[in-house]
Amino acid sequence: MGGHAPVTNDPDADEVYFQYEDIDQQQESYVVGMWAFLVTEVMFFGALFLMYAIYRWKWHTDFYLVHKQLDWQLGGLNTFVLLISSFCVAMAVHYAQLKKPKQQLICLGITLACAFGFLGIKTIEYSSKFEHNLFPNHSFVYADHKVTSYGMEKKDVTGRAAGVEHAKKVKKPQEGDPNRARLFLSLYFAMTGLHGLHVVIGILVIGTLMIMIARKSPLITDYVPTEMIGLYWHFVDLVWIFLYPLFYLIPK
Amino acid sequence: MAHESHSSGHSGGHAHVIPQSKLIATMGALTGLMLLTIFAAQVPYWFPAFAWLKDQHLLMNLIAIGIAFWKAWLVVSIFMGVKFATKLTRLFAIGGFVWFTLMFITMIDYFTRPWEPVKGWEAGNSSALPRNVARPE
Repeated sequence: MGGHAPVTNDPDADEVYFQYEDIDQQQESYVVGMWAFLVTEVMFFGALFLMYAIYRWKWHTDFYLVHKQLDWQLGGLNTFVLLISSFCVAMAVHYAQLKKPKQQLICLGITLACAFGFLGIKTIEYSSKFEHNLFPNHSFVYADHKVTSYGMEKKDVTGRAAGVEHAKKVKKPQEGDPNRARLFLSLYFAMTGLHGLHVVIGILVIGTLMIMIARKSPLITDYVPTEMIGLYWHFVDLVWIFLYPLFYLIPK
Repeated sequence: MAHESHSSGHSGGHAHVIPQSKLIATMGALTGLMLLTIFAAQVPYWFPAFAWLKDQHLLMNLIAIGIAFWKAWLVVSIFMGVKFATKLTRLFAIGGFVWFTLMFITMIDYFTRPWEPVKGWEAGNSSALPRNVARPE
């Protein structure tokens, strides 16, 4: 059994509940249960990825032109931030198994900092989209065309003061069909928004775990809670691994 | 299988502790692949010698998605520990991603038939809403 170290010598941790044969079966059921939840998450995001694939197939040229509005440098930075956080969670599980709560807390702390960093960078990206009227709501304007649920019309620049300001604010040339642009940005906000919501939930869960570890809560007897939360956080990283090339690095 | 599960008949709650060096190596590989995917996407614009890649849509898409799956595999197998997990865990993990891939069979419909316009949803009058909605003046 090379590389297999006995981890739990704590009598509390070895407590086997009555419905299990032994501690191994008990631990396995935790992991399988968590994976069952993650599979539902794959289905949840999968529907959005499929919708993205259909519209990208249909309007690939427009998607390529509109994706230039996104900042691939900031997206890449966010990818790296999430990779670091994922690595730190893996290290936290490693230290939890070795029963080193201090190092475990440091790793979880770095993860939490990365999660906040990710949201911070995301806020910069989102706010510039809002500023350029690229959020798909009633004030959506792309390439001098106002696109709403009622249809598309040429933006009257002199009509509203906002129109003049808008023309000044837009730095990048806006190419492609404004309707498809709205579709692309709707998908962008829906998918990265849902992912961002998962990051927020992750922050709450990791924060709670850190407090419980720091307070030596009797509910945390072994590495299992850290591993379960780690699985969730790796999944969040996994979604971003696909979102990044699909939204920020579209080939022509 | 070399890395058989921790539930191998031993009692006492053994778990596979993934060595630190392996985690660091995985992190390095993930960072390298991230840089590779960015490089692959930008290389036709940075180097005029590779400008011909701009027209290789299928190749560029396959590279991007291939690298994404490679990174996903590293995260799932090492960071999430599926490589060292029990067979039942592997079944759940792999099942989820197999389902994800199967879902894209839907694309066959779009690959093999023309896009059929739905009355009221035609291009030019473009909107996702029916046309009989009262429009504000």
